[in-house]
Amino acid sequence: MIPLMHKELRLALHPTMLIFLLLSGMLCIPSYPYYVVFFYTAMGVFYTCTWGRENQDVFYTLMLPVKKTDVVDARFGTVILFELLQLLVAIPFAVLRQTVIGAQNPSNPVGMDANLALFAFALLLYAAFNWAFMGVYYRDVRKVGKAFVIGSIAMFALMLVLEMLVHVVPFMRDVLDTPDTAYVGEKLIVLAVCAAVFVLVNLAALRRARRNFVKQDL
Amino acid sequence: MNAAEVRGLCKRYESFELKDVSFTIPAGSITGFIGRNGAGKTTTLKCMLGIAHADAGSVSFFSQPYAADERGLKNRIGLVLGGVGFYPSRKLRLITDVTRRFYPNWDEARYDMYMKRFGLDDRKTPAQLSNGMKVKYSLALALSHGAELLLLDEPTSGLDPISRDEILDIFLDLQDEGATILFSTHITSDLDRCADDIIYIKGGEIAASSTRHEFVSRFRAVKLTHAEYDECDRGLLIGCKRSKDGYNALITAQNEELLPYRTAEADLETVMIHLEKEAHDDTADA
Repeated sequence: MIPLMHKELRLALHPTMLIFLLLSGMLCIPSYPYYVVFFYTAMGVFYTCTWGRENQDVFYTLMLPVKKTDVVDARFGTVILFELLQLLVAIPFAVLRQTVIGAQNPSNPVGMDANLALFAFALLLYAAFNWAFMGVYYRDVRKVGKAFVIGSIAMFALMLVLEMLVHVVPFMRDVLDTPDTAYVGEKLIVLAVCAAVFVLVNLAALRRARRNFVKQDL
Repeated sequence: MNAAEVRGLCKRYESFELKDVSFTIPAGSITGFIGRNGAGKTTTLKCMLGIAHADAGSVSFFSQPYAADERGLKNRIGLVLGGVGFYPSRKLRLITDVTRRFYPNWDEARYDMYMKRFGLDDRKTPAQLSNGMKVKYSLALALSHGAELLLLDEPTSGLDPISRDEILDIFLDLQDEGATILFSTHITSDLDRCADDIIYIKGGEIAASSTRHEFVSRFRAVKLTHAEYDECDRGLLIGCKRSKDGYNALITAQNEELLPYRTAEADLETVMIHLEKEAHDDTADA
């Protein structure tokens, strides 16, 4: 798997994946729907898969001494690596948003605050995208656009639901959508639950993608 | 020992079907996989390596089922599907650096030797290479990890005669070093020069699998004038075609004596053209 990850990072990765990591800095914008930041990772995945199609990456990889399922594992590994990196890079910006930038008003008036719960829900957004995108993409790797449309719909639908819930569910409004100086314990529990969902959904998505890809005729 | 053994490979597409494809590739041989465009050569190669999902059948390499040790067996196989179509804007040096990490037996000195021999500059990108050079680069990669079996899909297609000749020289050298080569082609003259065995696929079915000599010696080429054509037993003629001065056809070697006209040794191209013509005529009649 190490040579395959090396191939992913040196040959297959679209440069925008790295550039989009810096867009975690958008958490510093005082009023912004912060979920959008995580959509850029999904766009990076789309560009990488499109670029792979133009470069015949799958054919190249299948000529190497790897199993067909290894191709899926490596791409999944890369996607999850960059999703986690996006969150990691976002941490200092979230802190900055809540402290220096948000010294007067740490709350985000147009959506979730840049807090622990936002990171938890970002994991759910990634899980939804991975499930929808990877399942469709590995049914036919030539149809990246279709996979991206379906993945984006899943991600944006979940964003809308989450934003809506913050307005209608008192626990989310009063506990989760607050600066991290309050309710840290509750937010950590939500983060842990969302992380578990992220792992479980990705494992299921990986199994589905492997099954689809093995059956696919290239 | 066989380097590869394919048994009962079936694959159905909407408009095409591989039907019960079976053949063996003896170790140390050069085998030509022939058939017209769309006959099923590439599909067979893809099914052999799981790139396309076969509906039925089994494939083994070096007496081991492919499905049981995909990674290990691929280490012993060099696969070249056309030239280098992948990563056209990346430097060869980078592609090589990524590729070599997959092979525990990678031999850097051998790679350098082939790059020099083929006149390849690893600071170039695949997009900057001619088709012949792309094939040579693919071969350099395949040979540098000590591939014992080379599976090549139309490696000489689109090459000029001199590049094709060079590639065939390389195949013969590799055979001397003990490699086994299966290459698909529709340029049969390439096989007249270097193939030991022939696998002939027609409409998704194996029409013949034997030594090249045995295959071509089953037939004789015959040229008939218009008068001779009118007189002869046409049932003996295979894939009869009009020409400027009369008719050209094949007959089976065993029927040679039944036709009182001059016949000549048939080469692969002649055999293939007339067999395909016969199949086409049969289909049209049906």
